[in-house]
Amino acid sequence: MSRAPAHSPPAAAERSLAVAGLRTRSVADQGLLRVASGPARGRTRYLVGALSLAVVTLMLFPIVVSFLSSIKTPAEAAASPPGYLPSVLSIDNYLKVYQYQAGLPTYLFNSLAVAFFTIIFCLVLAVPAGYGLACFRIRAKEALFLVLLSGLMVPYQALLTPLYLMFTGLHLANTHIGLAVVHTILQLPFSVYLMRNSFEAVPRELEEAAVVDGCNSLQALWKIFLPAVRPAMVTVILFAFITSWNEFIGALIFMNKETQFTIPIMLVGVRQGHFGAIDWGALQAGVMIAIFPCLLIYLLLQKYYVSGFLSGALK
Amino acid sequence: MNVLKGLRNIALGAAVALTIGAAAPAVAADSLTMWVRASGANAAQHLVDLWNSGHDQKIALTVIPDNQMVTKLATGVQAGEVPDVISFDLIYMPDFMRAGFLTDITDQMKGDANLAKVAPAYTKLATYKDRLYGTGFTPDVSILIYNKDLFKKAGLDPNKPPTTLDQIHEYAKKIHALGPDIYGFYFSGACPGCNIFTTSPMMVASGAHMLPASADEEPLDGSGVKEVLQLFRDMWTEGLVPKSAQADNGSNFVANFKTGKIGIQGAGGFLISDLKKDVPDMDFGVTFLPGIKEGQASAFVGGDVVAIPKGSKHADVALQFIKWELTDEAQLEGLAKNNILPSRTDLADNKYFKSEPRVVTTAKALGLGYVPWVFHFNDMVNSDSSPWIEMIQAAVFDGKVDEAIATAKQKMKAIASD
Repeated sequence: MSRAPAHSPPAAAERSLAVAGLRTRSVADQGLLRVASGPARGRTRYLVGALSLAVVTLMLFPIVVSFLSSIKTPAEAAASPPGYLPSVLSIDNYLKVYQYQAGLPTYLFNSLAVAFFTIIFCLVLAVPAGYGLACFRIRAKEALFLVLLSGLMVPYQALLTPLYLMFTGLHLANTHIGLAVVHTILQLPFSVYLMRNSFEAVPRELEEAAVVDGCNSLQALWKIFLPAVRPAMVTVILFAFITSWNEFIGALIFMNKETQFTIPIMLVGVRQGHFGAIDWGALQAGVMIAIFPCLLIYLLLQKYYVSGFLSGALK
Repeated sequence: MNVLKGLRNIALGAAVALTIGAAAPAVAADSLTMWVRASGANAAQHLVDLWNSGHDQKIALTVIPDNQMVTKLATGVQAGEVPDVISFDLIYMPDFMRAGFLTDITDQMKGDANLAKVAPAYTKLATYKDRLYGTGFTPDVSILIYNKDLFKKAGLDPNKPPTTLDQIHEYAKKIHALGPDIYGFYFSGACPGCNIFTTSPMMVASGAHMLPASADEEPLDGSGVKEVLQLFRDMWTEGLVPKSAQADNGSNFVANFKTGKIGIQGAGGFLISDLKKDVPDMDFGVTFLPGIKEGQASAFVGGDVVAIPKGSKHADVALQFIKWELTDEAQLEGLAKNNILPSRTDLADNKYFKSEPRVVTTAKALGLGYVPWVFHFNDMVNSDSSPWIEMIQAAVFDGKVDEAIATAKQKMKAIASD
């Protein structure tokens, strides 16, 4: 996540407007404003452009290669050494993924449902936790925070079996909610950490101003803090989604029926041949399908993700 | 704020979608559940479809990735969440039987006439302390496969495949002479499973005993082990094997052969239908995996067994299914018709295989094949750092044949004594 420097006048002006609840501009807009501000910046512009192009190429290369492999015939996709361009276009790989066992829509639905609940749980738990840890006097606060963070340090594979036994007892195994709870457990320490830091970055003056205007703590949270920490909330959403979307071993252990499996399990199954032989075509088609929702949610949320208004809030 | 509204809308939309989705038709309530490992899923699906078409109590298949089957079943048994019937890699049978995961079916199967006709390797493997816990389900067996087109080009008789290790070496040289990107031989150098399947039978054919069932048994016993490793080492140093073989963890176990640039390699019966589908123009032959001397041959009997986990909620129907899958109907119409080997050896020659003599060769290999009855197969062989694969790598790629064998023996003994 990058931010435009605070000294950039147009950006600062935008931010002041944003405090008044008008609108914020994305970093991209601000960048354009800045480079357009003088002809002396021309060379820098090309340099930055070339650099960006290089980075984009590097990032896009695997996706493009995956896409090209996914539209080859299964035999051509498996060829060794592989060729770059498909000689004939084929949707066989996509058909295989679509028709695999319970059918792609089932797996998509399961993955989306689990990711949705994971996001909700993460927000509902991490936002108040972060708020509390950042803005209130709590005894042994740091120790408490460390205990929360220590969840990051336990390899969760070690927790799976006991968790599964417990969840079976609670009738949470084999349910979307149950798996979402597991994914929330994985994601929560990071989310709380992020929310706490973000709440701490909110200037005290804003809170005091709210209190002077007659807000209680909850109102201050809702009216002042939440808008201020929304980039962090969006980050929590994005990471919770990606963690849940990609998580494999927990989903495999906690779900017992083909009709309950999520996308990652389907992906491993659909590419599996004898003795670990890989069906490359089906794998790449699966990859293309699996990254699509991730891209979509990122694109939808990115304008909230990259912009914040606090750096200019008190000017 | 915008974002909060946006979130609320997304949440509402998702909640609606979830409600609609939850109302989608689920699997019928009284159907049986069956777990199958991914590489056996295709064959299992044929059998299950056939069963479902003629029985009221349907079976719903759940495919578990190969490497996760052990974890999945172990945690499932602990939590009491097991499928009604299960099919898995036969090699885990001893571990599962000893751990008490499976239901004893000795008495129920006693009168079954078909059981005696099942390839002996399966019955042997599914027996623990004289009690039976399962039987063969979807078999596979290793064979030697060779590219007849390359044989012809190299001046070899395409109808005379190699019958000794020396011949493999000699033919591989002639095939590699066709061009720098044509290779005589292939094996997946970093794939433990591929090599126990295709390389170990050459050792067994040459008289070796492979894995110890207990600490008193000598592992990797016999000169065959060294002969085979030395052969592979020689072919590697002479460049008869592609360089990519060293790092192949099985991902390209059969992909290279499909390119038509590999002369000879060990593979499984499954490759016959794969090749016919993916490279219909290739002319290839199959034969038994040979040993040092003429007339020696062996195979690794692989594939999946079927069993009833302890705690199965429909054990009676599961038993009916097991009995049914051994009948002529299931074996012929469910398996052979789809070019899959039946697990009963008396059905090796059947009407569906008439047009494909190569499948008959694999069916015969099933009869002469071996399968090790050992605990801790995973630690000894299948894991990525097992003594088995470390031995192959040290011997073939580093040339330390004797040292590699000695180290592997020692480590396998230690594992067997657990």
